[in-house]
Amino acid sequence: MTLVQENPPLLRSIGQPRLLAGLLEGRADLQHHLWTHGRQPQLSRETYSELATAVGLRGRGGAGFPVALKLADLPAKGIEAVVVNGSESEPLSRKDRLLLTLAPHLVLDGAAGLAQALHAREVLVAVHDATAAASIRAAIEERQDAVPIQVSDTPGRFVAGEARAVLSILEGGPAVPPGRRVLPTRKGYHQRPTFLSNVETFAQLAVLARLGSREFSSTGVSSEPGTQLLTVAGAVQRPGVIETPTGVPLETVLQYAGAPVAGPVLIGGYHGQWLPRPDGIKLSRPEVALGAGIVVALGPDTCPLGEVHRVAQWLASQSAGQCGPCVFGTAALVDDFGRLLSGDPAGWHDAHRHLGLVPGRGACAHPDGSARFLASALEVFGDDVRQHLAGGCGRAVLGVLPVPGGGW
Amino acid sequence: MVKKLEIDWTRCDGHGLCATLLGDDVVLDEWGFPVLDGRPVTPGELTNARRAVLACPALALRLGEV
Repeated sequence: MTLVQENPPLLRSIGQPRLLAGLLEGRADLQHHLWTHGRQPQLSRETYSELATAVGLRGRGGAGFPVALKLADLPAKGIEAVVVNGSESEPLSRKDRLLLTLAPHLVLDGAAGLAQALHAREVLVAVHDATAAASIRAAIEERQDAVPIQVSDTPGRFVAGEARAVLSILEGGPAVPPGRRVLPTRKGYHQRPTFLSNVETFAQLAVLARLGSREFSSTGVSSEPGTQLLTVAGAVQRPGVIETPTGVPLETVLQYAGAPVAGPVLIGGYHGQWLPRPDGIKLSRPEVALGAGIVVALGPDTCPLGEVHRVAQWLASQSAGQCGPCVFGTAALVDDFGRLLSGDPAGWHDAHRHLGLVPGRGACAHPDGSARFLASALEVFGDDVRQHLAGGCGRAVLGVLPVPGGGW
Repeated sequence: MVKKLEIDWTRCDGHGLCATLLGDDVVLDEWGFPVLDGRPVTPGELTNARRAVLACPALALRLGEV
């Protein structure tokens, strides 16, 4: 089958690619995949635990939870499902749909291999992107797996990608996180123990199963060796997904993508944090809150606070509307940043007060992440705040930070 | 077992009874939603805390384990 790509994704690597190996000519069908990676070895649950512990593998969806701890929390007698979260609801991230579209067999190897080791009844793949869903469905047709694999489509909304929201969608429920904070490893799919992680985590597990911990650890930092996928966006000449060793200097990534080497950088996406400068930062979890691996260069030409205000409006629109402090708090912050932009000092004071009232007061991390993004903007763009309070910064809002429209 | 007050934010509608009944530990924000102080409920406060949990019209207030 041929997959038509409207926007061919740019994929590159710094150092030797692992997840993106053999993909330069496009999507890897089963034959091409086996030629590049070889067969997935069948490993036991104990071996997966040992490997994940040895290399300190963390989930690559954003929360960065250690995979070994997730495995240790599952009952020995078998689990309900292994869930591949491919909803990729962070609007700047492209790595997961790229893996699902171009390397579906690597992701499926990781998921099906682990499902067999954990005695899971099925593998569920939750996908939003239509091209990615088509690729993964085509890949399943090519394979013979011991565990049945099903693909489900998820809506494109920020909180719809949250782990428990994905489980709710898979059960036919609403695409919102439930009010009780329970762990999927205890009460996941149909209230039964479930291993859920991000697409890249499963691709890393497939590579780890083949390489073993020693070979896997031959690159990257010692705390979490190996490689990572980054999506680079914003004021860069060559945006796209880059595979790098963990701990790569941020400046190297920016130079590689053709970004200005100075100036503010957003790390971790719209639930992430602004850094005033890229120098001296090494990109490794958990020291740097990489989120889903997003790096955005702002560039010198746009109005930073105007960009942040646009994103704030989008974040407020993405609240599931379930929790009062998130609904009212994110809306109030949009208003505060708007007044701050037009030079009203009360906007600045109100923003600070509201930033204290939003975190930790919702069913999911949307209020926390939104507040983290906005609080770091006030801190890093202090000079811009003063300029706006004195009449304006004199720059237009160029839309360097993309805000998804209807087609997202 | 040490307990503390928890809110199911998907249920809370900001009725505010919790702040009336537990004025020392719960205040309301400017939108009328409760702000908890987050400390554990002492054995002496447990009866009042249970009363507030039962009084919540939205069944949003709970006593959870610390």
